[in-house]
Amino acid sequence: MSEKIHGYHGVILEADLSNRKINKIPLADEDARDFIGGRGLGMKLLADRLKTPGVGALSPENPLLFMPGPFSGFPIPSSSRTCIVTKSPRTSPLQSRYPHASTVSYANMGGFFGPEVRFAGYDGIIVTGQADSPVYLWIDDDKAEIRDAGKFWGMRTDEFDRRFIEELGDRRFRTCYIGPAGENLVSYACVINTAARAAGRGGTGCVMGSKKLKAISIRGTGQPGVAEHEKFLTVLEDIRKGFRAGFGGGAGYDDWRRYGTASALISASNSGFQAVRNFAEGTYADIDQIGAIAAEQKIWVRDFACFCCPLGCKKAGAVRSGKYAGIAHDGPEYETGTMMGANLMLSDLDALMKAIYDVDDYGLDTITTGNVIGFLMEAYEKRMIDRAFLDGIDLKWGSADAILEMVRKIALRDGIGDLASKGVKALAAKIGGASAKFAIHSKGHELAAWNPHRSRELALAYATASRGACHLNGDSAKSQDKYVADDSTGVCLFALDGFGKDGICRLLSAITGAEWTEEAYLRAGERIYNLERAFNCREGFTREDDTVPARFFEDPLTYGPHKGAVLKREEFDKALADYYKDRGWDLKTGIPTPEKLESLGLSFMKV
Amino acid sequence: MTLRRKKRTSLKELKVLRRTDRREFLKTAAAGMGGVLLADRFLVRAVYARTSPAQDQPGKTVFSLIVVDFNTCTGCRTCETVCSSFNARAAVDGKEFPGLGNPALSNIRVYPYNPDVDIPITCLMCEDAPCIEACPVEPDPRTKHRALYREGKLPVLHNDLVRCIGCGSCAEACSNKRVGAIIPNRATNKPERTCTLCSGDPQCVKYCPNGALSYIVEGTPGQHYGISRDAAAKTLTELWYGKE
Repeated sequence: MSEKIHGYHGVILEADLSNRKINKIPLADEDARDFIGGRGLGMKLLADRLKTPGVGALSPENPLLFMPGPFSGFPIPSSSRTCIVTKSPRTSPLQSRYPHASTVSYANMGGFFGPEVRFAGYDGIIVTGQADSPVYLWIDDDKAEIRDAGKFWGMRTDEFDRRFIEELGDRRFRTCYIGPAGENLVSYACVINTAARAAGRGGTGCVMGSKKLKAISIRGTGQPGVAEHEKFLTVLEDIRKGFRAGFGGGAGYDDWRRYGTASALISASNSGFQAVRNFAEGTYADIDQIGAIAAEQKIWVRDFACFCCPLGCKKAGAVRSGKYAGIAHDGPEYETGTMMGANLMLSDLDALMKAIYDVDDYGLDTITTGNVIGFLMEAYEKRMIDRAFLDGIDLKWGSADAILEMVRKIALRDGIGDLASKGVKALAAKIGGASAKFAIHSKGHELAAWNPHRSRELALAYATASRGACHLNGDSAKSQDKYVADDSTGVCLFALDGFGKDGICRLLSAITGAEWTEEAYLRAGERIYNLERAFNCREGFTREDDTVPARFFEDPLTYGPHKGAVLKREEFDKALADYYKDRGWDLKTGIPTPEKLESLGLSFMKV
Repeated sequence: MTLRRKKRTSLKELKVLRRTDRREFLKTAAAGMGGVLLADRFLVRAVYARTSPAQDQPGKTVFSLIVVDFNTCTGCRTCETVCSSFNARAAVDGKEFPGLGNPALSNIRVYPYNPDVDIPITCLMCEDAPCIEACPVEPDPRTKHRALYREGKLPVLHNDLVRCIGCGSCAEACSNKRVGAIIPNRATNKPERTCTLCSGDPQCVKYCPNGALSYIVEGTPGQHYGISRDAAAKTLTELWYGKE
């Protein structure tokens, strides 16, 4: 690879909130080369800052990184993603010497924020320390200020989105922010932008809240350069031209554009892969009432896209009549529709809209919120907890009022909401008995809306993901390496088909001037994945933590076309052993061997 | 009126387009506004009211411009990048190439609102050109042009950088009377970001993944012509997200 690296500004903006200081720190060429950007570069910078295990996720030492990738800021289709990286406030190992042991965390959001970071002249933003009163970070090209956010503290995300842009006076600022859930340190608070797009998972909003940082707002007029201008334009044009055909000849593209991820609501239910009734089932009898076809007829108004994305999978909608009339928000997509709908047996589409709106409005992760409420519903049904435990809420399956009240209590940490704000692992520890079996998490992080009863590959993906259960994790070493590299470029995982076999590497080569082959790309992914793993193992995570809840091994599906499906433990264990072998990790402990780390240039990570 | 679109969509086709129900709703909602918004697919600022042929005024000067179908725009800003790439060229090793598409240099700009509405703003090529009217520079005795002027086959604005005094009157006039398409240069305050129509082949129209932009070669302004972006956003918000 060539010496000088292009396609980056070479600058990371650091906001030290404790000392109210802004620094522009240089980005090392070799870090850009080895870790690409986005999630990968974020992990490297995280590891640089946290050299010892056991640092509390909510302590001032834990950095919070906002990382666009090298694709961000160029008109490459569907490459707007910003990865937020930090140490997780959500996860914990079975055993560790360190009281604050947790995994890495990453959460990825679309929209326009990442490109704007690059327009303003930065390859990333790192927030450190902790402010003594609420602040927001304001960045306008090379000017950056830490400003008072007192009057916005406590504001929900929808109102904040409207009011704040008026305060800024220019709609071209791009802002991401937390809601009351993040301010109140709900462990699964998320970071929101455009009032609906979320870096949902892994508690990034909780870490942001611990820093008393309400928002980051940014505007820029520049752009990074590329190594090979003409080649870049040629490759870009090729990709634009072949984009639609890449999706199965075009049909897949048209479906994405029409339905977005909501299309999976019905298909996942039909194939037994949906999270239904707190993951007890994989098929939802009432799915047609909340699926894409119903939403298209009743709710959706228009399609919205992220920066330069031709897919436009965001379906803005409105509830026009009835009890919840006036709600203007995204219609249910796969994760939100399943976790607040099918998983809670809520089939009233208008009420589902209200639930999704409230969860986003408070700044909660929809996936974990749906898990927590589903878990409590099941415990309540099984009489492991009574109504008094729930502050008098009659938390029955499908009860919209009860769901909405729980959402409010969680966000404000009111009563039962305080315990519920810690997630299902903490709830199961409190309730005890057999409740751990249906506390649906891995390493403390709840599973997403895909039910693994039928698939040990999916179970493996959940069990081995670096942030705790993650549905966007591949189910083999190779696919994980690919996805983590993709997360590092800024490209959207939903759009990969459009790039063809080598489109991403061709673009990366033209931008950086280095020669990116598929092999080098997967190698970078492997490096990043191993860095995450080494970080986790250093905290105390081992093979015993790489698992999914007992429910999937012990409670077969009882309903639908795949009735009877259940995971077999010995098959899962074998798959896990094969996976470790593939990875070159110790078969007993799951820890990357020193030789492995050294071969990837990670010998600075001592596990 | 002649429409040049990458893919033509007739009103008849529109009726069988997906989301019939949504369109039915929009029709109902639009009825209170005289039906203009839907009778003409190009909502609001676009403008080219075809409510009745009698409103067209034969013989009147007509202008070419880019119009937006707010119903199909997804706010992706591809238009900004291709406009910038075409109009803000880059010099590389002494050769000129299209730029990398920096949106800050684009002549079309998308403004987002909450609830989700996106308002792309471009120069409307106004026949009465309040911007030119506002230019205080003494007309050149030979060409009769002020600093800001129109010339040639396309009705696009030109600015004489030598004679322009950077007073900002044109941008102010556009902002007060029309859509605020002109943005003064940060350093010189001289007007920028007016549409060039890309020498007759507008890139934004060509590359819009949604067919939301059209190049209207001949048109006459309709009742929503030149309303501000805030007013357009308000209208669309009520239309799309309002209660029944």
